[in-house]
Amino acid sequence: MAMRQRSLAVAVPVPETVPRRPRRVDREQLGGMAMLLPTVLILVGLVLYPFVYSIWLSFSDKAVGSAGRFVGLANFRYVIAWPQFSAALVNTVVFTVCAVAIKLVLGMVVALVLNQQIRGRNFFRAFLLLPWVMPAFVVYLVWRWLYDPLSGLINYALIDLGLLQTPIAFLSERSTAMASVIVAHSWRAFPFFAISFLAGMQTIAQELYDAAQVDGASRWQQFRHVTLPGLYQIIGVVLLLSTIWTANAFEPVYLLTGGGPSDATMVYTLLAYVMGMVNLRLGEAAAVSTLFLPLLVGLVLAVTILLHKKATA
Amino acid sequence: MRETLANRALTYGLLGLFVLMVAVPLFWMVTTALKPNKDLYEDFSYFPRRPTLEHFVRVIQRDELLTNIRNSLAVALTTTAVTVVVSALAAFSIVRYRYRGREWIGRVILFKYLLPSAMLFVPLYAIVTSLGLGNTLKSLMLTYLSFTVPFCTWMLMGYFRSIPPELEEHAMVDGCSKIGAMVRILLPLSAPGLVASAIFSFTLAWNEFLLALVFTVDQSTMTVPIKLSMMVVGDQYIWGQLMAGAILASIPIAILYFIGQRFVVQGLAAGAVKG
Repeated sequence: MAMRQRSLAVAVPVPETVPRRPRRVDREQLGGMAMLLPTVLILVGLVLYPFVYSIWLSFSDKAVGSAGRFVGLANFRYVIAWPQFSAALVNTVVFTVCAVAIKLVLGMVVALVLNQQIRGRNFFRAFLLLPWVMPAFVVYLVWRWLYDPLSGLINYALIDLGLLQTPIAFLSERSTAMASVIVAHSWRAFPFFAISFLAGMQTIAQELYDAAQVDGASRWQQFRHVTLPGLYQIIGVVLLLSTIWTANAFEPVYLLTGGGPSDATMVYTLLAYVMGMVNLRLGEAAAVSTLFLPLLVGLVLAVTILLHKKATA
Repeated sequence: MRETLANRALTYGLLGLFVLMVAVPLFWMVTTALKPNKDLYEDFSYFPRRPTLEHFVRVIQRDELLTNIRNSLAVALTTTAVTVVVSALAAFSIVRYRYRGREWIGRVILFKYLLPSAMLFVPLYAIVTSLGLGNTLKSLMLTYLSFTVPFCTWMLMGYFRSIPPELEEHAMVDGCSKIGAMVRILLPLSAPGLVASAIFSFTLAWNEFLLALVFTVDQSTMTVPIKLSMMVVGDQYIWGQLMAGAILASIPIAILYFIGQRFVVQGLAAGAVKG
């Protein structure tokens, strides 16, 4: 870092020393800014403007095909009073917390196994990454088929093994729907945890383990006092990232249950979708998103700061 | 000695379990696509006894999946081409030039990379329809830039930072312009990063679901994910075709993954998920 700055200072002479230089530097700066222009346009037009527009929408009665008027907090009052909203709030939290916890534990165990000296480690690493590499919609369609009550593999195998008498409609019974969605999602997303943790484990110096062994540390103690402290930062980043992605997941619920049965798996992204695209009430749909905004922005800012510090450190 | 043996057993036992856990759904996807309907719904079997390609034929002929594959390819390739050029310029500008607001834009880019499109689909829908782009592939090509460009810019920033600027400075001392130095020195050296960013933007665009679901409404504009999700609700006995479609939809990604694994790992190591 220090080296880079010094060399840049050589490449771009201090303007004040030579009278003719400022114009050249200005032109160079302009060139640099011109290269950034398309990205700035994209960020302003497709992120910043929609973001602000979304907040305005949530205070308006805009529907598809009509211009909106300002209606104050009416949308928020309507949305909050709606029973589906509280269901979505609870479900989003349950889904996020459970799925992230499962992915964390599973990802850690997989990383620990892959970090051992096993034959064909590269092959297994690539193979266990497959659920994360496959398109998400493919994964959830496959799981919907696995869960099928009439001809699905899970029901058939459980009955075949004598563990079950009658098939379970995993995705359309209140008691099993949410758990089934969480399992399918965890299957898809655990490799991200595993691969990140594995990358972190491989940066931990072998000498630390050797020293711990000399001191008579057990496997568990080595994990607890060498591996885990070495991974704290990565665990933090991965947890925050995954929490953001999981809380905003749309596909698992849309493709597996459609929010049912009777809203048992309704999450906020799906609620916003139903509001806006099925009921065609954009104002209320935007209000749903806006209500989740403070939480999300808090999480995103936390990761932004963490990652930005790391990238520029 | 016995402890290490137990450890070995535990390691390989768990490994076997994980491999099975990942393999079973994949195995089921592939074998379902290869079994005739009779074996799927009446005469159940774990392994395909009479493998057939009829589901592939049907999903292509009756469900016209090729149209959707063409749509997906058009969107993903256009998005990727634009993204790589735009992000490379942006990352070069942020990393190699000094002007005010540069750091700030880096932060906004990262912020957007993390902000999910679930937050933005309602206003984007309103914008797309008011631009008259409703139900067009153009609407997807345009809006996908909102996540591919920040992602790839962020990744390439990390990549460019890892390449010492001295090399370009030498070229500039030898009379190369700054842009010339970028084209002749920086870009060739960061080829793996550029390949990785192309792979990522293609994958992101190919897999995108929510915006495609919201923006496109009929067969002529539907991308593969939406088409397959619409088939689920249509017919009870659709699973053979659906799994055949799912395999076809996974093929481009699988090819990219196997060709590009090396680049992706390098690109990631340098950029986005810098360990």
